[in-house]
Amino acid sequence: MNRRLARLLLGATVTVCALGLQLSASNHREAPITALDHKADITDIFAFMSYGAGGANKVTLILCVDPLLDPGNGPTWFPFDDEILYEIKIDNNHDAVEDITIQFRFETEQRLPSLFQVYAGVGATGARAPANSPAPVPPGTLIVPPQITSFNSPGLGQRQSYSVTAFAGNQRFNLTAVDGRRLYAVPTNVGPRTIDYPALFSQGIFDLPAGIKVFTGTTDDAFWIDLGAAFDTFNLRSTVAPGALTPAQDAALENFAPDTVSGYAVNTIAIEIPVALLTRTGRIEPATSPAATLGVWATTSRPRVSVRQNNMGVPDRSGLFRQVQRMGNPFINELIIGVGSKDRFSMDVPANDAQFVGFFADPALPRVLNALTNGVLAIPPAPRFDLRPLVQYVPPIAAPGTPPGPVADLLRLNTGVPPTPFASASRLGVLGGDNAGFPNGRRVFDDVTDITLRVVAGGVLAAPFPGYNPAVNARLGDGVNVNDTPYQPTFPYVGHSPSGRDRRHIDPTEPGCTAGEGAPCPPEE
Amino acid sequence: MPTGGVSVQKNMQGTPSRDGVPRHRPSQIARGLTVLVIASAVITGTGVTPAIHAQEPSPPSPLTPLASSRVPSTGSPAMRRIDAARKVLASDPTRSDVWNELGWALSRRARETADQAYYAEAWTATERSLQLEPGNLEGRKLQVWILLGQHQFPRAIEAAEQLNRAVPDDVLVYGFLVDGYVELGRYEEAEKAAQWMLDIRPGNVPGLTRAAHLRELFGDHAGAVELMDTAYRRTADTELEDRAWILTQIAHLSLLTCRAEAAERLLNEALALFPDYHYALALLAEVRLQQGRPAEAVTLRERHYAAAPHPENQFELGVAMERAGRPAEAQAAWRAFETAARQEMAGWDNANIELVYYYADHADQPADALKIAHGEWTRRQDVRTREAYAWALHKNGQSRDARVEMEKALAVGIKSPVSFYRAGAIAAAAGAPSDARRYLEQSVSACGASAVAESARSLLRGLPGEP
Repeated sequence: MNRRLARLLLGATVTVCALGLQLSASNHREAPITALDHKADITDIFAFMSYGAGGANKVTLILCVDPLLDPGNGPTWFPFDDEILYEIKIDNNHDAVEDITIQFRFETEQRLPSLFQVYAGVGATGARAPANSPAPVPPGTLIVPPQITSFNSPGLGQRQSYSVTAFAGNQRFNLTAVDGRRLYAVPTNVGPRTIDYPALFSQGIFDLPAGIKVFTGTTDDAFWIDLGAAFDTFNLRSTVAPGALTPAQDAALENFAPDTVSGYAVNTIAIEIPVALLTRTGRIEPATSPAATLGVWATTSRPRVSVRQNNMGVPDRSGLFRQVQRMGNPFINELIIGVGSKDRFSMDVPANDAQFVGFFADPALPRVLNALTNGVLAIPPAPRFDLRPLVQYVPPIAAPGTPPGPVADLLRLNTGVPPTPFASASRLGVLGGDNAGFPNGRRVFDDVTDITLRVVAGGVLAAPFPGYNPAVNARLGDGVNVNDTPYQPTFPYVGHSPSGRDRRHIDPTEPGCTAGEGAPCPPEE
Repeated sequence: MPTGGVSVQKNMQGTPSRDGVPRHRPSQIARGLTVLVIASAVITGTGVTPAIHAQEPSPPSPLTPLASSRVPSTGSPAMRRIDAARKVLASDPTRSDVWNELGWALSRRARETADQAYYAEAWTATERSLQLEPGNLEGRKLQVWILLGQHQFPRAIEAAEQLNRAVPDDVLVYGFLVDGYVELGRYEEAEKAAQWMLDIRPGNVPGLTRAAHLRELFGDHAGAVELMDTAYRRTADTELEDRAWILTQIAHLSLLTCRAEAAERLLNEALALFPDYHYALALLAEVRLQQGRPAEAVTLRERHYAAAPHPENQFELGVAMERAGRPAEAQAAWRAFETAARQEMAGWDNANIELVYYYADHADQPADALKIAHGEWTRRQDVRTREAYAWALHKNGQSRDARVEMEKALAVGIKSPVSFYRAGAIAAAAGAPSDARRYLEQSVSACGASAVAESARSLLRGLPGEP
């Protein structure tokens, strides 16, 4: 954190603001170790200039973990893990080393130890034992608590509180709610009888000092993709064959293939921070300033067994934990890093990413698609210098003159680029003429699947090159263009979790594939 | 004799080792790898090269029987695996994975028997595998393990580092790096590699046993026992030799902290699991010496030498005989040891440290001790080599230089009665009586019944300012 943030947080004369409003993966099980540790599996990291009301000159950072949560999966559902250290890290001086770290730790309490499920509720007054209630329970005894409408509702048997701690250099800041409320995580949307989920979603947004907002809880998975087709060795649907969309498909905010992630939830940690608290200068920097660009990544860590045991109590926090996963850009570990290196990638620091430069310089993904399309998709020659913006501080994201820093997988955000209003934003981000979107940071609605396919496999940043065909290379896509759940217009931007009772996964051949029309998805070929 | 008949110091004392790697055997640390080694050998390995770049395998070579008819068809787990692999290869010699399985089994048999010849056979198996499937990961890994077993540490490290760059997620390769670095005294690198093992696959047995050995070197004996205990509980009941090995290591740590009876119980359990286990026999002999039962120690050392007839083991036999009041037999054992050890002085797989102590403490040839110690020291700076070099310097009247070298060895963290005793004796000769007193008192307090305890007390009494 910069000096300004330190001053603000230490001074702490912050007024209580009216609560904001409300609250939703791309990296599922991308490495062997996270395939075995779902709770620590980071699905997505988002970083963008807030575009909603109340978000002026603020950066929203969102870390999502624990993929493909079915909201109906009781009776204990899928809380955050008390043992995991969740962290969002920011590099503001272009050395790929964190200058600001925000840590989240959770604590779980069980308030209904005698009940068979952790959440229960019905109506305004609950359900009582009727007249024929067998002894020894007398009629009138409260059996089922009232619907859960707040974090204090008795039916909220499994309740999670959390702490937020920021580190900047050797300084540590414990961030607590300005109104003194304890920070609680929003539970899963069990179903309409049990919980007033939107009410808890709203209550789950907390104001912290210095204009910071925070939210944690189970939300809709903001990501969308035809995962089944993609991982069937890119066996994309015939309607989008050979993986290139028609101009009409490309322009439509509709889906032409099933969204595998539809109806699933994810655990979300979101925080909104004034940009001036994150830049190294402590100011809002113009897009032309090198200081405007931040590098963002997230990590999950667990307590470690260390060879040397004498590091207890030493300020070096890393000595106490082993990193399970990290994520910067979407799909890097999932689609770029080789299987024999995925765990090392997950557990190492971005500043050491030069060891993986071979994967970035000549990724396997384009060669696979080149082979699968029998050359219809021409690919650029290696080494792929065109991919440098993903792994170094270079234009078009960073301003000319910005020190490029080491090769490192960071989500780079030029905070000087103003946010694009949601209504006029492009799902294709920078490729769609919307410079406020991926790969300049990442918003919840950026179609990173299509963008990544076009950049990495299509080589659009390297064009023109022999065989380049904009009708193919620049229109690669899986046919899923939009999310199944609406996003919130303001912080935390992610959508409400689907209801456990009524959630729906839109499978191939089922109606509902095309947004707004309810038409059937393309049948399996 | 100033050392009071001190036996050659070993880091995994009692189980004749050199910072973890015994002579004529696979790396001692690597012994903890077995479970993973076998599992990974059985499950077809991941290729180093991505499938999209996969090369066509070379034409299969004709099967030529390996020189191994002496392996019985029944017996230990390794023997059964050798048998099973050979049966498959007899009908289909084109299976690179089965050649690897044969190689792993032969390497494991080398550990079971301390018979170096199995490594040569295993190496041949890897060559067949790599002919059939060039660059295959399992074959390359096995070659590193064999190089470690043959004490070709620089070559092993170089090959392991190459593998680690190619497949950084492979836990076993980190283990090879730990083994090699420890042998050469590159402890910081060893610690980093061991930490990766613990982090990348928490609870893996090879990582636990290596981390335990490092903890011992760093002086954290309780922490080492904790990890070894976890490793034991995580090792399958069917892996008898693995379990026996871990029990032997815990026994070694017990003996190091002067708990001879606890060590004895553990060793008896190890011998029940794996009868005539050579590591356990050697350590039990050390227990008997600490218990003041040298005659039994001689019997155990004789059995040990019969099972593992290597020069350094004959040296230990001589030490036990001398302690048992059989000086003529001790001298005969040592003469035979000297002849055999000198023949292999130039190679990496040698008994040079034992020669140093023999010349320094038993043969009154300190100049020879120093020459050999210096030669060894120029190629490896592990604590055991540093200590032997310091002792040789001391015996040649160069106690100031000896003190510097001994301090470097102790700086790693080792805490053993013998090391403290030597540090005290060197400090006393170097004119540093207060340091000498501190080290000698540490030696006696670490174990009042150790082989050097009486010598330490004697030196203490002679120091100026004796309280």
